[in-house]
Amino acid sequence: MSDLEAYRLKAREWLQSMAPKYARDARRGMTVEEELALGREFQALKYEAGYAGINWPTEMGGQGLTHLHKITYDSEEMNFGMPTVFFGISLGMPVPILMRFGLGENKEHFAWVKERVVKALRGEEIWCQLFSEPSGGSDLAGLRTKAEPDGNGWRMTGQKIWTSWAQYCDYGVIVVRTDPTVEKHKGLTYFWVDMKAKGVDVRPIKLAGGDSHVNEVFFDDVRLEDSQRMSPVGGGFGVALATLMIERYIATDSGGFGPHLDVFVDLVKGLEINGKPALKDARVRQQIARNHAMRAGLDSITSRAFQMMQAGMEPGPEGSLQKLVSVRSRQKLSELAMDLQGNLGLHFDPHAYVKEDWGASWLNAPTGRIAGGSDEVLLNTIAERILGLPQDHRPDKGVAFNQIPA
Amino acid sequence: MSILYDEGQQAIATESRRVLDARTSKDRLLKLLEHTGQYDEPFWQTAVEQGWTALAIPEQHGGLGLGLVELGLVALATGAATAGAPFLTFGYGASQALIGSGHADLQAAWLPRLASGEALGTVAFAEGTDPLPAAPTATFAGGKLSGAKEAVPGALKADFAVVWARHDGQPALILVELAHAVRTPVDSYDNSRLYADLAFAGAPATLLLEGDAAQTLALDVLARMAVVTAHEQVGGAEALLHTARDYAVTRKAFGQPIGAFQSIKHRIAEMYGLVEIARANCIHAAASEGKDNFLLAASDARIAATEGYDTASRDCVQIHGGIGVTWELGLHLHMRRARSLAVELGNLYFWEDLLVQQLTGEAA
Repeated sequence: MSDLEAYRLKAREWLQSMAPKYARDARRGMTVEEELALGREFQALKYEAGYAGINWPTEMGGQGLTHLHKITYDSEEMNFGMPTVFFGISLGMPVPILMRFGLGENKEHFAWVKERVVKALRGEEIWCQLFSEPSGGSDLAGLRTKAEPDGNGWRMTGQKIWTSWAQYCDYGVIVVRTDPTVEKHKGLTYFWVDMKAKGVDVRPIKLAGGDSHVNEVFFDDVRLEDSQRMSPVGGGFGVALATLMIERYIATDSGGFGPHLDVFVDLVKGLEINGKPALKDARVRQQIARNHAMRAGLDSITSRAFQMMQAGMEPGPEGSLQKLVSVRSRQKLSELAMDLQGNLGLHFDPHAYVKEDWGASWLNAPTGRIAGGSDEVLLNTIAERILGLPQDHRPDKGVAFNQIPA
Repeated sequence: MSILYDEGQQAIATESRRVLDARTSKDRLLKLLEHTGQYDEPFWQTAVEQGWTALAIPEQHGGLGLGLVELGLVALATGAATAGAPFLTFGYGASQALIGSGHADLQAAWLPRLASGEALGTVAFAEGTDPLPAAPTATFAGGKLSGAKEAVPGALKADFAVVWARHDGQPALILVELAHAVRTPVDSYDNSRLYADLAFAGAPATLLLEGDAAQTLALDVLARMAVVTAHEQVGGAEALLHTARDYAVTRKAFGQPIGAFQSIKHRIAEMYGLVEIARANCIHAAASEGKDNFLLAASDARIAATEGYDTASRDCVQIHGGIGVTWELGLHLHMRRARSLAVELGNLYFWEDLLVQQLTGEAA
């Protein structure tokens, strides 16, 4: 047995021991606040057990293991539905970026950063990522929130949107415009911000599925110290890209984070079409087969990427297909699963789990196709970065931000 | 279980691609389309010379003792060049039927000759619309084979065929020398596949295997051939992806390369997705040779590769506009091959049903 396999089994054993109190079944009927409290408890235990910050440096409170150990643990944890969703973004992007860009030129902020890192790993503090704005989602560099010099610091005013878990966050990382007179991506600067500071107003947005995990965040003349700056002035776009690139190879799910195909087959086994078993129906069989072939391909891509990393190689770019292909197909398969149930497919439980319930999967699928890069942006990225096709026509190219027609 | 190619396998991939790039001529392939009964003999000479005919034949029979992974890599290069001969896949199928049958005399008689390229073999399982009929009408009795098989790939030139037939009310695999068959050439859109209708009227033949064992072996042989073909399909689809991409960055319209239009670039990005998913399935299926999940993995590969090659040939021509439909440009070589490969090894309905049966235990 390889070291990683042993690591996997040990992690699974630990997760099994935690499951009765923390896994999905134990949390049925809980409010978000109750889940968050339990999540913080679990996160602290995870830290004590050495499963938080798995591939982070030990001097920062991490475990100093490899990226593969992290993916191995994550893919195990995913099967248990543990209450870690509140910390996913925090530990996925803002905190690693803080470790990389927040220490100061002479590591003068080391002690402060380390305290934040450990508290974030233990679930005591949560960080959010304040990138998207009403005027800039896919077009990140089109953002309008501005920071202007104020003595030895800055004053920030503007609005962010779609900020996950901001209502529970202690800190955030943010990109703002510090110079509107240059090309749009050259006038940005990257800071961290205290979410409890004066002038910060967080307003949850209720989504189509009924939950409110994303927010609008308003900044009204919020004071930032220059020590909160994490990029050169005007160099914020580079750090923003580094933030988005940080976890190129994360634990993936060929089911598009919806129900797996065996859940679909189990459903179909109990159904009939025209008085005959639905599993005998050619249309249903075709959908099962096509989805299986597609998901098996994604799984094989994942498995090869894992083997390449084990061999010390860089995985191929085909990993970038995962979210695009899997979430899109999850959406259609969810619709089909509802159709096949006839009028029974009209039942809906707003608290159902998206990986078990077709209605919940369907209603939340559009979010998956938009968040973290819309299908269209992902297709552009594949076309431009992998295949070398030209960029779209961009009328804002080479134009100062304040000269771009609104 | 998927795999990373080892050094030897990577060398096979690179070398077969290099050799075929150097030796394949579009003009030669275009000429073959207009004649029934001719195939790409220079390709086959290359296959023999490079040892591709011996790749998957056991060493004790004069082969190299390699397997589906290696043969798949040759097929990938073959598909990219629209080179090839039906024997690459169907000769392999015939050799696998011989190996699986355990028939020592016939193995000794044919396998060394298949490995050296002296003999050409094919497989004749399909009847009518069914790639592997439950009750074949071809009949074997008293050492003689009677009946008909339609549009058998490679049959115009093959020395022998492994035939799916009935024996004493049971399905059986039969070996028959095609000198004893009446062969009628089939005019096709992909003539170099050497399709022929075969008629047997009491042709002397030999029983390889019968009953459930024959059924199991036939399905395994079909799946193995489907995996080779899937590699060929992925090779073709990938070549079309690159062709479409190269054209889209060169060709200009409305003052910019057409690849800057999302309608074009997204189409090409989608092709990339289909190619990579099909390739991943091919690698997984080839590495699953001889394992419990092989039929499932082969079905995944076959379905994704067929969808990928058909879509790529449709979309690559579309991206080219008018020039794409000319005889001279030759994209129709891929269009034709995409269809012939899609049909030869059983249509998607067959593989979708097989996949679902493997997955759920429920037959169609």
